[in-house]
Amino acid sequence: MAERPEDLNLPNAVITRIIKEALPDGVNISKEARSAISRAASVFVLYATSCANNFAMKGKRKTLNASDVLSAMEEMEFQRFITPLKEALE
Amino acid sequence: MAAAASNGTPREEEGPAGEVAASQPQAPTNGPGVRLSRLPLARVKALVKADPDVTLAGQEAIFVLARAAELFVETIAKDAYCCAQQGKRKTLQRRDLDNAIEAVDEFAFLEGTLD
Repeated sequence: MAERPEDLNLPNAVITRIIKEALPDGVNISKEARSAISRAASVFVLYATSCANNFAMKGKRKTLNASDVLSAMEEMEFQRFITPLKEALE
Repeated sequence: MAAAASNGTPREEEGPAGEVAASQPQAPTNGPGVRLSRLPLARVKALVKADPDVTLAGQEAIFVLARAAELFVETIAKDAYCCAQQGKRKTLQRRDLDNAIEAVDEFAFLEGTLD
């Protein structure tokens, strides 16, 4: 399986589609840039997980829950994600 | 979907683990523009499990992480595009991403991780 956590990558096709939809029509992305964004997304998940886990441990819980992840977003200074994430949970 | 499965996995949307929701729709809309993540939950779960300090992760946590990762991809792509625009290019290059990482404080955690 994967040698390192960074090798656990997310599907290229999905990443590419997310990128294309975020950018204006007619904008392209090089393979290297796409690949780097994909790796960045994996690193993001790993870092968010670690942050979220700290909150779970502080709450003496063994199971990571959604609010731990939201707290992690705040800690990582991605507050702008919190509202859309809360909506997604409803 | 997933016609270009360049990483060798034929079915990118379905994870091997039966415990996560196998029937993951493609970019469905749930009410006023709220979308479930397109990223496969099984892959996100694998990343979470890679952390040795994590004991268990609830389904909802995985779900939120997947959606957060998607928002992150949108955000960093847009920020990198600002750099490309300044260079009057229509193709995002790796250096645009590097510039965005250096310029935006929230991306500092990425420094040194992408090489």
